[in-house]
Amino acid sequence: MFITGAVYIRHYRKAMSGSVIQEKVAKLLSRQSGKPVLRPIKPLALKNEVASRKLKKGEATCVTEMSLLMACWKQNDFNNTVCSKEVSVFYTCVEKAQNKAKAKQGTQGRLLPKEANTLLKRFPNQSSEI
Amino acid sequence: MAASVRHLLKPWTPSLCLVRWSRYNSYYLDPDPSKDARVPDSELSPEQKELQELKTVRRIKAALSSDTSSPFSDPLMSKFINMMMQDGSKILARGIMTQPREEIECSPHSVFQQALENCKPIIGLASVQKGGKSYQVPVPLTDNRRGFLAMKWMITECRDNKHRRTHMYEKLSQELLAAFANEGNVVKRKHDLHRMAEANRAYAHYRWW
Repeated sequence: MFITGAVYIRHYRKAMSGSVIQEKVAKLLSRQSGKPVLRPIKPLALKNEVASRKLKKGEATCVTEMSLLMACWKQNDFNNTVCSKEVSVFYTCVEKAQNKAKAKQGTQGRLLPKEANTLLKRFPNQSSEI
Repeated sequence: MAASVRHLLKPWTPSLCLVRWSRYNSYYLDPDPSKDARVPDSELSPEQKELQELKTVRRIKAALSSDTSSPFSDPLMSKFINMMMQDGSKILARGIMTQPREEIECSPHSVFQQALENCKPIIGLASVQKGGKSYQVPVPLTDNRRGFLAMKWMITECRDNKHRRTHMYEKLSQELLAAFANEGNVVKRKHDLHRMAEANRAYAHYRWW
């Protein structure tokens, strides 16, 4: 709804049958009790898009295993057969870290911004009645 | 002016061609051409039974022309042949790959696998920018990446660093045998990568994944 503040007051009575939020917004915009609290430049309507979140910077995984492996290499002149135990430990650590990262990404009870945007593109908020 | 107009008369060809992307939806399952796919139901666990049922219901991608149901087909070998192939001449690449088998006596299949296994790097280097300067940071690699690097090194080594007059299959067989014994240039290249990673181990904390 691209309606300015002044027109909103006229529509206030029509929106009364709608939600409580509309009433509150109308009250904030009204000039009846002194200056209005809100003076919106853009229309007070939601976009059909969600802002993408900044990737949280994690830490380097498996650094200890890597350093152990490198120490073993230094001692045994980069011989992988001698250091096979450290190698297998490193591999298990890497796999665990990868699984953890994958699991963490998708869950936590929230839609990812990308998924939310695709859904909103398919089912957008109606801004005007066609 | 005639030249600029002439290009409009050419038949339209897409300027972008899909080389690595798959146009299939993730709903589609991969085809399984092996003859052993039909196992009697009594031997399957419940998850495998579910998987079999899913295969009867779900849509399946079209099989590639290189997919065979023969027991001699090896996915690693197919991948290597594809990487070696130039200009789409699969027959030539396959011919080159089958010839070293005659040179290598005992079980060329396992020799090939063991040689590539010996060429796979364990840690790779990634370029990370920090404070305006880029550092080579030691990084764990995925299995796919490691296999790819091993095969790529093998092919480049065979192509570039050999005598001009030797055939590809000879160079390949020599390199594969050397890699099987943990010698040769490819294994040396792997060790060089490990050495560089070890030298840069101080920068390991610059990684954030």
